[in-house]
Order: sequence, then structure tokens, then C-alpha cells
Amino acid sequence: MGNVERCDKTLALNEMIFYVRGDARLRERWKTDLEGLACEFGLSPAEYEALRDQDIRRLNDMGVHQYYLPQILRLFHGASANSHPALEAYKRAFPEETAQAMALQAQLEGRQTRELR
Amino acid sequence: MAEVVCAMAMTHSPGLTGWFSRASEEYQTLALRAFDEMRQRLAAAQPDVIVGFSNDHLLNWPINNTPEYTVGIGEEHVGPADWYDEWLALDKYRIPGHPAIARHIVNEGARRRIAFSYLRRMQFDDGFSVPMHYLNPEGRIPLVPVSMNCTVPPIPTPERAYQVGGAIRDLLRAYPGPERIAVIATGGLSHEPGGPRYFWVDEEFDRWFLDLLKRGDHQALLRECTLERMEAAGSGGTAELLAWALVLAFTAGPADVLAYMPAIAWRSGTGMVAWNDFAA
Repeated sequence: MGNVERCDKTLALNEMIFYVRGDARLRERWKTDLEGLACEFGLSPAEYEALRDQDIRRLNDMGVHQYYLPQILRLFHGASANSHPALEAYKRAFPEETAQAMALQAQLEGRQTRELR
Repeated sequence: MAEVVCAMAMTHSPGLTGWFSRASEEYQTLALRAFDEMRQRLAAAQPDVIVGFSNDHLLNWPINNTPEYTVGIGEEHVGPADWYDEWLALDKYRIPGHPAIARHIVNEGARRRIAFSYLRRMQFDDGFSVPMHYLNPEGRIPLVPVSMNCTVPPIPTPERAYQVGGAIRDLLRAYPGPERIAVIATGGLSHEPGGPRYFWVDEEFDRWFLDLLKRGDHQALLRECTLERMEAAGSGGTAELLAWALVLAFTAGPADVLAYMPAIAWRSGTGMVAWNDFAA
């Protein structure tokens, strides 16, 4: 089965994103006191560090649900900034898959890959 | 007795509202034309209510408790959820619910040994917001939203979705009211939201899947389009097509494919279909 099977349903980080995302006060604390928030939700040091570093590869490998990966980037970079920071982060995390996808897009649309803003 | 008068399916990718103009003009035109066609078919069918099937993207339920099916039973639905409105570039909208039919699904489902969770106040992301924006823009047609889990393991199989679809079809027909019901599946086609192939679509899979719908042989589709095949075409996203497998149980014969676009810019294989005939 696919990548989603990597998900560790019992990872504290997977619970934390759910509650932070839906609460404006916690979203604000995400920006000012991520470490305190991580501590309250019971994240392990490895979970906190991968989160702090916005390291998509490490987060995916440790079992963060894949839906939450772009949402983590949106919590850091803003809800409407869904493309550019995500594309850059995915290029770093999954260079091969992302390069193939960009080449495919260029081919499909019959034009140079647009810069995703 | 209630009657099913319309059955359609469409992609609900956030790019269809959030960043529509980033796809090529050709794709934009194809999509808008298909939405026009769907709106016309919906208007012609004169439904009293839409029963919509989508999936919960870990929005309503935390990962420690993800029911297989959830019905929104409220008098009114309000979306998009906070934090999602900016992402989807949509203003808040209100759509009336149909609590009597929603509660009928929950309770009659239980009598048929299917567990439907329910929410009086369901939250909405792209799953229902995108289809309602295009198909029911003024919120005139009441909505009964039914969301499924297709992304937190264990992911149900297409056979299971089809079986549940058959049960919902039967219990809706047994509903003691004259309502005309449109069923709409949303989700798919190939995509892998947030996974390593986040920016990828599988055009070959999508065209193969749509061809299976055009053939109209349900058993062949269920036999060939396994969960494993869906996962291979985009993990955690392509299986949104379970909603399509569910709605398939309301239909008979071939589907009309209204449009297909392998739209990486919108983040998923994008397709719209409509059926002409309903299950006997």
C-alpha cells in the first residue's frame, strides 16, 4: 500500500495539528511559542525538532499523516500561501518525485512549467 | 416515497476555487463548461435535496477516532470552516440541511448494521465547499452531507463503499416523503495530497477509471479498480473515488464523461461525470 500507510495514528503530533488548526488562539501561539505548545501536546523531542525545522521528509518518515504536511506549512506561512512554500519544501523533501511531477506538468500543459506562486 | 432523480460525480480539489487561474486556459474552459452542464442537469432533474458523498480530510474528526461514515444532520450548514476560507478563496456560505432525511440515514443505517456517525454542526473544507460553489451557488437546494473516511488506515474497499451505497439507496427509497433526491459524489481523481507525489497526477489511471464508468459494468469496475490500484495512483487521495463507487450503486449503465483534465496545477486529476439511468 501507499505512503498513507506510514501514518502513525498514535503520534502526538497528529493530534496536535488537529486542535491547533481549528483554534485561532493556538494558531497564534504556534508562531510565538511552538516549543511550549509542543510540550503541552506531549511531542517527543524528535517530533518537535522535525516540526521546528519544517522538515517534511522527516515528519513523513516518522508517521505524521500526509494531509497534515502541507497544513503544517500553512500554519507557518499563512493559509493562502499554499503553493510556493509547499513546492519548495517538497522539492527539498522529495526531489525526485517533485522534479518528475514538474516535468509532467510542463509536458501536459504543453508549455514551460509556470512558476507556482 | 422518495425518488432518486439525478446522479453525478466530480473532483473537489481546492485549486478549483483557491487558485483556479493557475491551470491552463484550456483546462479552465473545460472545467467551467462541465460545471455548466452539471448545473443544467441538476436544474432539469428538479431535486428537493442533494445527498452529497465526500470524505473527511481530518477536519471533523481527530485521528484517534475516524468513523467510516458521518452524516451532517443540522438545519443549516455553514462553510467553509475558519482557516479554510482563505485557502479556498471562498466567502462564508449557508445551505439549508434536510434533518429528516439525514436522521433517516443515520437510524435506518443502524438498522441495516451500518454505523453512521453524525454531526449537528459539520465543518466544511474543499470536499463540499467546491462542489456547492459550482453546482448550488446560491444554496437553494438543501444538502445532506455524508462524509467518509478514505485516508486514515484502514481504508475501506470499493466493494464496501458500493455495498453501503446500495443500502443508502434502499433506505432513501423507503423514506416516507415525496422528495426528489440528487446524489453527488465528490473527490478524486488521481492525487496524493501531502505525500511524496503531492504535485503528481496519474493520467493513465484516470482515463482507465473513466473508461470503466463509460462501460457501465459495475462488477467489472469493482473487480478491476481495487483499493491497491487506487493507492498506486496516488496514496491517500485517489481513494476519494470510494465516494464515486458508492454513488455507482444508485446508477445503471454507462456514465457520460463530461470532462477530464490531468490538472497538476489544481492538485488532482480533475473529472466530471453524470449518469442517465438509475438502479432498478
